[in-house]
Amino acid sequence: MKYRTAGTSTSIRAGGRLAGYYWQRTRRNKLAIAGLAFIIFLIFLALFGPFFTMDPTEVNFDEKNLPPIGFSIEKSIYDINTDEFTTTIIRGTWKHPLGTDNKGRDLLAMIVSGARISLLVGLIATGMAIILGTIIGVLSAYSGGWVDNALMRFTDIMMTFPFFLLLVLIVFIFGHSLIFIVLAIGLTGWTGTARLIRSESLSLRTREFVTAARAIGASDRRVIFRHLIPNVMSLIIVITTLSIPGVIMAEAALSFIGLGDPTWTSWGIILSAGQHTLDTAWWIAVGPGIMLFLTVLAFNFLGDGLRDAFDPKSKI
Amino acid sequence: MGKTWLRDYIIKRLIYSVIIAWGILTITFVLVRVGPSSPADKYLANLTASGQDVAEVVAAIEARYGLDKPLWEQYFEYIGNLLRGNWGWSFSTSMPVMELIKTHWIYSFQLILLSSIFAAILGILIGIYSAVKQYTKTDYALTFMSFVGISLPNFWLGVMLILVFSVKMGIFKTYYDTTLPLFSLENLKALVLPVMTLGTGMVAGYVRYTRSAMLDNLRKGFVTTARAKGLPEHTVIGKHVFRNAMLPLITIIMFDLGSIVFGGAYLTEIVFGIPGLGQVSFNAIFANDYPIVVAVTLIGTLLVLMINLVTDITYTYLDPRIRYD
Amino acid sequence: MNDTILRTKNLKTYFYTTRGVVKAVNGVNFNLSRGECLCLVGESGCGKSVTALSLLRLLDSPPARIVDGQVSFGDIDLVKCSTRQLRQIRGKDIAMVFQEAQSALNPVLSIGNQIIEQVELHERISQREARARALALLEEMGIPSAERVIDTYPHLLSGGMKQRAMIAMSLSCNPQILIADEPTTAVDVTIQAQILEIFRNLRARKQMSFIFITHDLAIVNEIGDRAVVMYGGRDVETAPVSRIIKNPRHPYTRGLIACLPNMSRSEKRLESIPGNTPNPIELPPGCPFHPRCPKAMDICRRKVPSPTIVAEGHAVSCHLYAS
Repeated sequence: MKYRTAGTSTSIRAGGRLAGYYWQRTRRNKLAIAGLAFIIFLIFLALFGPFFTMDPTEVNFDEKNLPPIGFSIEKSIYDINTDEFTTTIIRGTWKHPLGTDNKGRDLLAMIVSGARISLLVGLIATGMAIILGTIIGVLSAYSGGWVDNALMRFTDIMMTFPFFLLLVLIVFIFGHSLIFIVLAIGLTGWTGTARLIRSESLSLRTREFVTAARAIGASDRRVIFRHLIPNVMSLIIVITTLSIPGVIMAEAALSFIGLGDPTWTSWGIILSAGQHTLDTAWWIAVGPGIMLFLTVLAFNFLGDGLRDAFDPKSKI
Repeated sequence: MGKTWLRDYIIKRLIYSVIIAWGILTITFVLVRVGPSSPADKYLANLTASGQDVAEVVAAIEARYGLDKPLWEQYFEYIGNLLRGNWGWSFSTSMPVMELIKTHWIYSFQLILLSSIFAAILGILIGIYSAVKQYTKTDYALTFMSFVGISLPNFWLGVMLILVFSVKMGIFKTYYDTTLPLFSLENLKALVLPVMTLGTGMVAGYVRYTRSAMLDNLRKGFVTTARAKGLPEHTVIGKHVFRNAMLPLITIIMFDLGSIVFGGAYLTEIVFGIPGLGQVSFNAIFANDYPIVVAVTLIGTLLVLMINLVTDITYTYLDPRIRYD
Repeated sequence: MNDTILRTKNLKTYFYTTRGVVKAVNGVNFNLSRGECLCLVGESGCGKSVTALSLLRLLDSPPARIVDGQVSFGDIDLVKCSTRQLRQIRGKDIAMVFQEAQSALNPVLSIGNQIIEQVELHERISQREARARALALLEEMGIPSAERVIDTYPHLLSGGMKQRAMIAMSLSCNPQILIADEPTTAVDVTIQAQILEIFRNLRARKQMSFIFITHDLAIVNEIGDRAVVMYGGRDVETAPVSRIIKNPRHPYTRGLIACLPNMSRSEKRLESIPGNTPNPIELPPGCPFHPRCPKAMDICRRKVPSPTIVAEGHAVSCHLYAS
C-alpha cells in the first residue's frame, strides 16, 4: 500500500521551518553571532584577501624585520670605520602594516595566505573525519552484533592514542605534504564522532516516533532518511563546528614543530620562526597567533551556541 | 553483598586493556611498516651524507634489524622485544631507546604533574564558584574566560609568555636550564611559565566540566533536604553537591588527561626547551630516528590506557550506585 | 490544643522569571497550635508546596522571593530573621519531609551518614551516641534490620523504606513542628496507610505539631485536625476538618467536596468544577476563584475578600459571607 507522500513536500518545508526555528534560537546568543561574523570575515579574507595583499613569498632583504604600523624598534648598527654604534629608529610603514619577517616578506600577506591553509585544512579534514565517524557510528548502531563489537573495539583502540602524538607519528612516517596532513587528521579524528553518532542512533532507533512511522508502513529506508537522519543532523552540525577548531590547531601545531607543508605559509610556520626572533622582531609571533586564537574562539562560540540552540531542554 | 564483584570487574577490565594494548602495538607496527620509506632508507639518508657504501650498509641494516625476515616474524619479534624492554636503538644518540626514556621521562613527568595539580585545584575551585554564582556577572565572565582558555593555542601562549616575561621583563630565563637539580627552587621557578602554559588549557577545561557537573546537581532534591536540616551552606555545597558532582568529574578529568594533555605537553616542552620525552621525540624527527618517535607515541598511548583503566575501576568502586551482583 | 506555636500572616512569595512574575503565594494566613495536625489542601498549582518551602526559606532566591508577610515562630519572624537563627531552627525545631524520598535523599551518602550529620549539627553528643540514636529512630519507624540499613545507600531501599528513613531523619532532633510536603503522593496505597499510621503515632506519643500538605481530601479526613483550603495562592477557607467535609462554605470548597464520588449512591456523572486553575503569572483581579465561581458577584471581580469568621474556628474568605 502506497501511503500518501504528503510527507515529502511537508518535510522539506518543515525542514525549512525547523531550520528557521533553530536559527532564531542561535541568534539570541551574541557570542555565537560574533563568532559567526568572524568566520565569515575569515572566509572572505581567505578567498579574496590574496588579491589585495602583496605576494607573501616575495623576499626583500632591504625591508627585513620591519615593525608593524604604529610601532618602532631600535636598531644598532656597528660601523667598522668609526668603531661606533649608531642607533637608528625604524618605524613601521603602511606598505607593511603588520611588519615583515627576517627575509622581508610582508607579514600581512603571510597571515592572509595562512588563513587559506587553516580554513582549507579545517574544512576538508574535519569533513573527512565527520563523514568517516558518522558512517562508522551508524553502521555500528544498525548492524549490532559482532560488527558493532568489532567496530567499537577498534574505535576504543584508536581513541586511546593521544591525538597529537598519533598525528605526529603518521606525518613523520608518511611525509608532510598538505595532502598527507589532511588525510592524517581525517583518518585519526573520527573516533569521538563515531561514538556520539552511534549512541544517538541507538537511542533514536528505539524511540517512539520510529515505531510509529513503522506502524504506518514506512520502509526502513524511509525511516532512516525521513526520520533518523534529520534528528542526527543537528548533532552532526554541532560536532562539526566544534571539531574544526581542534583540527585547525592541530595543523598549526604540526607546522609549528616543523611537520607542516613548507610550500605553503601556515600560521604555525610563521609562529615558529617568530619564536626565534622574539627579541628583535616580536611581532612575527604575535600576528599569526592572534589570528589562530580568534579563529578557534569564533568556532567555539558558534559551536556552543548551536549546541544550546539544538538542545530542546535548554531554555533560550 | 560481597566485594567479589569488584575483583571480577577488575579482572574483566584488565583483560580488555590487554586486548586494547595489543591493538595499539599492532597498529603502530602496521603504520611503521606500511610507511613509504623503510627504516633502512631513513638511516640511509644519514649515512650517504657521510660517504659510506650504500649497498653494503643497506644489507647490514637489513640483517641487523631483521628486515629481511617475513613480516609475521618481524611482528612477533617486535612484540617480544617491546615486552622485554628492548625498544630499539636510537641511531642519532647512539643509545638504546630505553636508556633515553629512562633519562628523560622525569622532565615530562614533573611538567605534567605540576600542571595537572595546578589546573585541577584552580579549575575545580573556579568551577564550583562559577556554578554557585550562576547567572551573575561573575559567572558570565568566568565562562567567557574558560572559552578563552580552551581556545588559546598553547604553543602560542607559551611563546607570548616568553615574550612578555622573559624577553621584555627578564623575570624568567628564555630557555629551560637542564643543569638545575630537580628539587630545587630554581627549577620550580623555571617551570612557572611552562606550567602556566600547559595548565591554562587544562584549567579552562576543568572549570567547564566542574561547573557543568555542579549545576547538574545544584537543583536536585537532596540539596533542599540538606538545607532543611539546617546545614551551613558550605557543607551543602562542599559535601553534598560536590560529592555527587565529583564522580563524573573524575572520569572526565582523567580521560581528558590522556587525549589532550600529552599533546599539549609535547608542544610545551618544545617551546620551552624542556628535555622531556616530547623534546626527545622532536629531535628524533629531524634526525629521522624513527625508533624514538615510535617509542614516545607508544608510551603516551599505553599511559593513557593505564589511566583509563585506573579511572574506570576507581569510579566503579566509588559510586555507590554501581554494583554488579 | 490552644497555644499557637506558628503563625503565618499574609505570606507572599513571588518568582521573578523571564516570562513574568509568578505569584505563587499571594496572601496566606494560618495558625498552628501545639499538637495539632493542620492540613494545607488544594489542587496542584495552588501554592501549597511553595508555602511550605517559604516557611523555612528553602526556595532559591533568585528567582523566588518572599515579598511580604510574617511567619512567627515564638518571637522570631522566620521571614526576616538572620540565616544563622534560621539554620538553628531548621532541622531542630522545625523539620521537613518531602514528597519523593529518592530525590530527597543524597544518593552517594549512606542513610546513617545523613541522619548522623543532622544530629551532630544540632546536638552535642558523641558520634557513637548519634549513631545509636539513628539506629533507634530507624527501628522506631519500623525498618527491619536497621543495623544494615543504616550503612546502606538510598537507592538500595524500597520506596516505603526510603520514605520511613526520610521521616526518621526529620525526627532525629525531636522537632516541635514537622512539615510534610505530600509525603504519601508518590507511594502506593499500602505504604500510604503505613506512613499515615506513623504520623498518627507521632502525634499521639510526642505531641508533635504537623503541617500536612496534600491534594487528597481523603487523607485530610483521616489525619487532619484542621484544614486550610488554598486556591490561587491564597487561603480561602480554614476550619476543623469535620466542618470542611460536612459544612463547607466557600464555593470552591463546596465544589471540591462535591467532586468526591459518593459510594453509597449511584450517580450518573461525576461532578467537577468547570474551568481551569488560574495562571499564577496573570492572576485575575479580586477573588482568585471568581472566574469559575457559580455565585460570583460584581464585587468579587474587584475586591479580594478578607477572612470572615462564620463559626467557631471556621473562617471563610468570600464576599458571600462578608458582613
